[in-house]
Amino acid sequence: MTSLELRQETSRRSRAWKNRLFKAAMLFSMLVAFGTLAVLLVDIVLTGWPELDRQLLSGPPSTVAEEAGARPAILATLYLGVLVLLLSVPIGILTAVYLEEYANRERWWNRLIEVNIQNLAAVPSIVYGILGLAFIVRGIGLGRVVLAGALILTLVVLPTVVVASREAIRAVPDSIRQGAFALGATKWQVVWRQVLPAAIPGMATGSILALSRAVGETAPLIMVGAVVYVAFDPTVLGAYTALPVQIYNWTKQPDPTFQTLAAAGAIVLLVIVLTMNAMAIFIRNRYRKRW
Amino acid sequence: MVRELTQMETPQIDSTRIAEAARGALERGEIERREKVFSVAGLGVSYNGKSALEGVDLDVFRNTVTAFIGPSGCGKSTFIRCFNRMNDLIPGAKVHGTVLYHGADLYAREVDPVEIRRRIGMVFQKPNPFPKSIYDNIAFGPRVLGMRGDMDQRVEGALRQAALWDEVKGRLKDGALGLSGGQQQRLCIARALAVEPDVILMDEPASALDPISTTRIEDLMHELKKRYTIVIVTHNMQQAARVADMTAFFSVLVAEDGSARRGVLVEYDTTTKIFTTPADKRTEDYVTGRFG
Amino acid sequence: MRIELQAELDALEAGFQETGEIVLRSIRGVVDALRTQDVELCDEVIAFDDEVDERYMGLERQVEMVLARQTPVATDLRLVLAVLHSALHLERVGDQCVTIAKLTKLSSHLGTRQAVVEGLVDMGERCAEMVKLSLDAFARRDLESARSLHPLDELVDRANRQVFQEVLGYVHDAEALEWGMRQITVARCFERIGDNAVDIGEQTAFIVTGELTEFTDASH
Repeated sequence: MTSLELRQETSRRSRAWKNRLFKAAMLFSMLVAFGTLAVLLVDIVLTGWPELDRQLLSGPPSTVAEEAGARPAILATLYLGVLVLLLSVPIGILTAVYLEEYANRERWWNRLIEVNIQNLAAVPSIVYGILGLAFIVRGIGLGRVVLAGALILTLVVLPTVVVASREAIRAVPDSIRQGAFALGATKWQVVWRQVLPAAIPGMATGSILALSRAVGETAPLIMVGAVVYVAFDPTVLGAYTALPVQIYNWTKQPDPTFQTLAAAGAIVLLVIVLTMNAMAIFIRNRYRKRW
Repeated sequence: MVRELTQMETPQIDSTRIAEAARGALERGEIERREKVFSVAGLGVSYNGKSALEGVDLDVFRNTVTAFIGPSGCGKSTFIRCFNRMNDLIPGAKVHGTVLYHGADLYAREVDPVEIRRRIGMVFQKPNPFPKSIYDNIAFGPRVLGMRGDMDQRVEGALRQAALWDEVKGRLKDGALGLSGGQQQRLCIARALAVEPDVILMDEPASALDPISTTRIEDLMHELKKRYTIVIVTHNMQQAARVADMTAFFSVLVAEDGSARRGVLVEYDTTTKIFTTPADKRTEDYVTGRFG
Repeated sequence: MRIELQAELDALEAGFQETGEIVLRSIRGVVDALRTQDVELCDEVIAFDDEVDERYMGLERQVEMVLARQTPVATDLRLVLAVLHSALHLERVGDQCVTIAKLTKLSSHLGTRQAVVEGLVDMGERCAEMVKLSLDAFARRDLESARSLHPLDELVDRANRQVFQEVLGYVHDAEALEWGMRQITVARCFERIGDNAVDIGEQTAFIVTGELTEFTDASH
């Protein structure tokens, strides 16, 4: 070969090597990530399987492990979920609509909000817990009730809902708005009849994902008094405990059956969260638009 | 005897369309006798202080197709958006000068841009059907404007006028995004027609379409101008030659130091004049393709 | 599709055929004037030529406009070019009629000679037939008919030569000679009308085949 061909041959070989190396690195990272997750999941399922029964789902808690169930916790978790949904979604969507459609980007206060929305999403949830304890539980005197927990969780997930809704609204092509304006629609009509309907899939996905996060939050709930032992079914303005908290408490018990129960509870929680995520993915795929 | 040479009848032409064409394209005098739908004087547009267009004087006449041609950056799209106040939606855009619509100031304080846009419709360069059914696309305008009457009839009427009815009549509930590009653009035209406008503005309506769809849209314009007044922006001057009665040529004026570029109206006359004996050398250079 | 283009082409062709009709009337008028030595009719034919010229210029303007506005191609373009050329031929036929009319007027006081007059009328009628045929062939885009104009033109040329021969015989009669020489020019005009008809036939062939050919070579 000529020296040119030789150089090209060498470079080709070294490029091929780099290619393979890169692929190997990616594969390895993926294995580490998913492998760890898989191991955890398998461990939980194997541990909790024996105690996964109707008793767990429908019975009240008890100091006796064999009779313990998580019904109040599960119910409370569901109540919290619904309340968070009802509170965070409207507020989050309207905020997003204001920021995207109405706010004048030039004004300093809008730019301030713009920058800080992302920051709010990154604040550790326990901080919200502390704030909630000070202002909601004690400040306005709501007490350690489901509603208070819901309010705190709403604050935790609200930034996420706002960001997801904003993305969904931004994804609506401007040509749609122009077309609607050109027909003589007012700003409100454009938003209500074109932008929002087109953004709903994205907003729904974002909301459900935020919700599934809320359902799994433990720290802030502990702070605002999801009480350790609640044997009765919760009400909105009554004392309560949530499933993650219940699981946490069971792990603190010495009796090994409680450990198994905790694992079983974790499986239930996982199922709830995974179901919600699956719904979000389903909605997203179902309504995926071709622009 | 054969004295009747001069009195002999000429053979009759039976088709009205041939008769129209035989008269030749509309003469300027004939056009100028029509009502002025728009009367523009001293119009200028600036974006955030930078002038994009200056000193435009122009009249648009009823039931004609008026075309704006010119190189990119000459402000023709900016200009057409002045007619339905779409420039209002662009922050930092300022319009000065006057635009009279049927004699009334379009930019007067008490004028509602929303009402304007019902009378002066717009079709955009890239077809932009809403992500809804064909029926709901057409019905959107009448619904938001609170127009009463049989919606089915309105939808059918609009689709017929846009020469789309036969192709979609069996699938009005299907999504509009499933139509081809040319069909989508005709849908957008039908959508604009559904609100019973007076004027239809078209910003490069066929530039995103294949040649056959383009020809259909051009044929459509010939039909539509009988009922509406049409203004189109096109970068394809042959298209302007084919469809327009009046043509306005815009060009770009560059500041001495090359920093500022703004659009100006160079010549406005009948299409025949612009394409056979243009008065301004810049126009001649542009239409002959020698523009450098 | 391209409704406007089609309408403009149709209008252009209709205008051309109309002009053809009018020119035919001129030919027939002048042949009648020749047969009956009607001086007033000659004046009418001469005056009528203004209309022919006006129509010709109208057609030219229409062609310019169609080319500028519609940019026709292929068959459409050939049609437009053929109309342009054929219109010019028609205009020339009109001019020939005027010349014949003027000559007839000029020589009317010299009396007529039957043989020559009959020959000229015959030529004139044949020419009218040829022009009519060329217009029909154009309208129908009929290549065969267009080609058949050539042999017809041969007959007209023969008649022209016959007139010439006849007039040569008048050498001993001064008045007859003067008259005869004028009639030679008239015959020449008719012969040119025939040539113009053939040219229109060639334009028809151009539209159909895309090729511009003479039906006959120049040595004829």
